[in-house]
Amino acid sequence: MPLLQVDDLSVRFDTDDGPVHAVDRLSFTLDESEVLGVVGESGCGKSVSLMALTQLLPDTAKIGGSARIGDLDLLSASSSRVRKIRGRTIAYVFQEPMTSLNPSLRIGRQIEEVLQRHLDLSRRAARSRAVELLELVRIPAPQRRVGEYPHQLSGGMRQRVMIAIALACDPKILVADEPTTALDVTIQAGILDLMRDIRARLGTAIVLITHNLGVVADIADRVLVMYAGRKVEEAPVHDLFAAPQHPYTIGLLGAVPRPGSASTAGRLQEIPGRVPSLRELPQACVFADRCPRADDLTRSEQPLLREVRPGHLVACFHPGGAWSS
Amino acid sequence: MSYVDTAAATELSPRARRRRLLRKRFLRRPLAVLGLLVALAFVTMAIFAPALAPYDPTELDVTAILEGPTREHLLGTDELGRDILSRIVYGARASILAGVLATLLAMAIAVPIGVTAGYFRGWLDPIVARVTDVVLAFPFLILAVGLAAILGPSLLNATIALGVGAAPGLIRVARGEALSLREEDYVRAAIANGAGDTSIIGRHVLPNMTNTLIVQATVTIPAAIIGEAVLSFLGLGVQPPTPSWGVMLSAAQPYVNDAPRLALVPGLAIFFCSLSFNLLGDGLRDVLDPRTTR
Repeated sequence: MPLLQVDDLSVRFDTDDGPVHAVDRLSFTLDESEVLGVVGESGCGKSVSLMALTQLLPDTAKIGGSARIGDLDLLSASSSRVRKIRGRTIAYVFQEPMTSLNPSLRIGRQIEEVLQRHLDLSRRAARSRAVELLELVRIPAPQRRVGEYPHQLSGGMRQRVMIAIALACDPKILVADEPTTALDVTIQAGILDLMRDIRARLGTAIVLITHNLGVVADIADRVLVMYAGRKVEEAPVHDLFAAPQHPYTIGLLGAVPRPGSASTAGRLQEIPGRVPSLRELPQACVFADRCPRADDLTRSEQPLLREVRPGHLVACFHPGGAWSS
Repeated sequence: MSYVDTAAATELSPRARRRRLLRKRFLRRPLAVLGLLVALAFVTMAIFAPALAPYDPTELDVTAILEGPTREHLLGTDELGRDILSRIVYGARASILAGVLATLLAMAIAVPIGVTAGYFRGWLDPIVARVTDVVLAFPFLILAVGLAAILGPSLLNATIALGVGAAPGLIRVARGEALSLREEDYVRAAIANGAGDTSIIGRHVLPNMTNTLIVQATVTIPAAIIGEAVLSFLGLGVQPPTPSWGVMLSAAQPYVNDAPRLALVPGLAIFFCSLSFNLLGDGLRDVLDPRTTR
């Protein structure tokens, strides 16, 4: 049984201009100590679906489906129940390390806060655990750093502190929402390395939300590709890069610069067109308007996910790698 | 920034190191230091008035009426032969007391209301916002005069009137701060990691508005000091013969031509007292901002 099982998760925002379907019947599972990459372009519902799990969305969001950890359905649980899950079972790291720490509290205090809240540790125990955590996220001189303020730390260091806060209560799931996007490439590598290390040492399952396929290739075990609120492809990381099935995935991979390969000679491929409006749910493939393979079938019916190989799912009528017509 | 004493600093606890850093930053601002010294002088004067004043401030001396400065009376005497210096020293009590207490009262009213409205929003917020807008349409002094007139003349009532009168402005500031702080990334991050409303307000909202509140307090203290003088001048605050700078100004009116000293001295006292608190406040704001590294 997987650690987390999400079934038919739908998120709808009721705005003044009518409903927006941000996530449409998304199902996925997460196993223990697994790294799941969630990729897709901005606004495809990556963050929203993971935020919905612990009811972090504003009240305007209407959420359907279920998300189970063991016997507990997170989506129908009471808000006080879910608050105990946040940070304890599912912890989050966000994109903006520069602003995600409280500027007027010492970083030690910010780590201790989570420990005291969830584990009811004493001040002293929380302090020594905070130092341990800073050591775990490889911050040099942790004894001294606990007494420092966020402005005394660099962006990479702050993101490490954020990870330390997230890991404070030894969560089962770490949701990292674009954790490296705001950082330098070298710092990025360090953070990814750290996450790999954490998974190996603590067995934490990681959901890595990103639009960076390089990051996914680097660290993920399995990848979920989202487009316009729907899951269009899901595969073990190796299969996805070796044999992408959905034309959108193929397009994404084509848009990644690859030094040394033939494609560097020409332009990077772009995916023509734009992401469709999420205002109505089309009775068609969401990607139809931008897809080179679209035909009458694509435009009149929504493709369901099917398994093309064990563990490799794709929602497309014309999947496959090499396509020529 | 100098690292000359790093070796010594590493032996200190972070807290002590921070205190030392703050002190160093503060001392580097001459105007702030000046403000602090002058404000402290006024506070000392108020506390130790009986010891510092050469005469009883209400003691009449008919042999020395409207005298200029002499060795016996350094600042001269007023129309009833009272020693002006002693009256200024005692007058500091009313001013400091009213300034500080009115500000504390205003804070005590404004911060809970403003933070609750700004943080929780809901139905309360628009009500609080509109009511403060309406009240703020009245000038601070007019409001204080009106309240003091209703409460009746006394120093305590003047202080209450000034505190209540200053509250709407502070409510607006506290509400605005809470509104913007609740949208901060670190608040979202804290929520995502399980923080409840109480700990978010206590750990994230209030600490991050202290700078603004300190600045507001140091604007409010001098305003209340001036307000006390105005109320006493109008007969709504301290009652004669008890000395107060406002009372002295009021009594000096008929003698402005013959003995301008009578108006000038309490006027200067009000000026320097409120200026010193303003300078101190500016300095504190610069020093306490954790983003200032100078």
